Amino acid sequence: MSGLALPTAARTTGDIMIEAADVSKTFGSLRALDSVSVSARRGTVLALLGHNGAGKTTLVNVLTAALPPTSGRAAVAGFDVVREPREVRKRVGLTGQFASVDPQLTGRENLVLLARLLGADPRSARARADELLELFGLQKFAARRPGTYSGGLRRRLDLAASLVGHPNVIFLDEPTTGLDPSSRLNLWEIVEGLVAEGTTVLLTTQYLDEADRLADSITVLSAGAVIASGTSDELKATVGRRTVTVTPDAAADPAVACDAVRRAGLEPVMDHENGTIVIVIEASKDVAVVIRALDQVGIEAAELSFGEPTLDDVYLTLANQAPRPS
Amino acid sequence: MTTQLIGTSDSAPPTPGSTKGSAAAWGGGSSMFTQIRVLTGRSLRALVTDPGVILFGLFQPVIILFILTQVFSGMGKSAHFPQGISYLDFVMPAILVDNAVQSATQSGIGVVEDLKNGMVARLRCLPVHPSSLLIARSLANLVRATIQIAVVIVLAVTVLGYSPQGGPEKLLASAGLALFITWTLGWAFIAAATWLRRAEPMQNLAVIAILPLMFASSAYVPVDDLPSWLSAVAQANPLTYAIDATRALALDTPGTGSALIAVLISSVIAVVGGVLAVIGFRRPL
Repeated sequence: MSGLALPTAARTTGDIMIEAADVSKTFGSLRALDSVSVSARRGTVLALLGHNGAGKTTLVNVLTAALPPTSGRAAVAGFDVVREPREVRKRVGLTGQFASVDPQLTGRENLVLLARLLGADPRSARARADELLELFGLQKFAARRPGTYSGGLRRRLDLAASLVGHPNVIFLDEPTTGLDPSSRLNLWEIVEGLVAEGTTVLLTTQYLDEADRLADSITVLSAGAVIASGTSDELKATVGRRTVTVTPDAAADPAVACDAVRRAGLEPVMDHENGTIVIVIEASKDVAVVIRALDQVGIEAAELSFGEPTLDDVYLTLANQAPRPS
Repeated sequence: MTTQLIGTSDSAPPTPGSTKGSAAAWGGGSSMFTQIRVLTGRSLRALVTDPGVILFGLFQPVIILFILTQVFSGMGKSAHFPQGISYLDFVMPAILVDNAVQSATQSGIGVVEDLKNGMVARLRCLPVHPSSLLIARSLANLVRATIQIAVVIVLAVTVLGYSPQGGPEKLLASAGLALFITWTLGWAFIAAATWLRRAEPMQNLAVIAILPLMFASSAYVPVDDLPSWLSAVAQANPLTYAIDATRALALDTPGTGSALIAVLISSVIAVVGGVLAVIGFRRPL
């Protein structure tokens, strides 16, 4: 949420692993990125949320030194992406929307090839490949070509491929697009494991639940510009409030229940149509306040539900406020 | 159910980020020499695992070898045909050059494939020199062309009794020149691949560029036997120099001038193609 403070010697102070400051990128007259600033600390997940064309992949390309920014500066693991691209490439792994592996080689041969290119001797390369195959549960498929893999397996191989060189920072560009639910969950668990190990992750996604589950902080992009950033809770707080919905026991008088809650300091709203009481709450402890208040007047709640604004609410609200590309 | 699919959930947490052990010893990248060696090996592996590629590549030169020599054997009696040699002797160097040119186009196809399957995208975010992949493709293709030319020569010698006047050494030299043309001309097609980036226009280019160039040359008929306008085209065609030079070597006739021009033209193509390829390859995906 706070403004971006650029450390002068990031590579030695070391804790900020991804940072972009006022990065803009134009393609002809198209402004793909407009003064975008993001940062991520070591061992955290930063999610870039946005529609197709919001600028997510362009920002990933800038941060992985594949595309020079038109203006602004960006550094990964403390190395400037324009001045020290090779140093950046040594420290990052990238998994894109499409599996980037050689279809002519087997899964294992792909990993060995990458380890060799990163400077491993043949023996260490094979050891690293086997280590990753085991880690990702791919041993059974090691001798097969990626063409025979399912979508989920291929994505796992691709992620394994981007980890061959022990990167400090990994970029996951829509890693679960097109995956079935169980494969998504699978990939999420792998990412959580990596983060627990201290890897920094930048994730782009169109899926709000994915950002909600994995990200420590979320930046919402629309038409190349940052329209919001913060934690999942902070973003939700900017849009809607959490609610508790009580359905009193059939025998109870809803008006009594309303009074009791009001006396406890909250503001209940009667929903006559459904016979429920909706209470906007500030903090989760207010749920206990509601239950206590009802208990004091002897009313049993037949049903009690907790309503949280979803990131969908956040995204729709923010994206509708922001100007859309014409 | 999902957790059983991977080994991470119930066992120890994954350690891919770990910098212990072998990790510290490498990861900093490899030399360009290693990159080229590893990537060439990778391209060649496809020949071993997918022999269809090489068999299919052999199909055309072998068919041309057997059909051309039989269909046009009467050509040996034409007015401008060199004295004392058979049509097989005449056409064999052209078959070698045709094979060389066909192989050259394959270098470009390989690069397009790498662009399509994401290999290039993968290598771009690694500390790998962009030219390494291109050089590796060109070298792997040279190996492939060598195998094909060897097979064609062996078939010509054993089945058709090919025995050129220059003897085995000169025959090898002519094969060497053909391979030099493969490698240098390959760079023009690699350059085209990095700019076109799609297989279809590449294949069209290969057909459009090669078919007329091969026929409007001294390949299958003496230039003087061609109609005058075609003869003029043939004399300006760089492939004519390549074919004349390869033929002069195999037949052991004077032709140093053609060889020099052929090498010179090929080298210029390689340098210009190489530069354009690297520029084209660096453009954003």
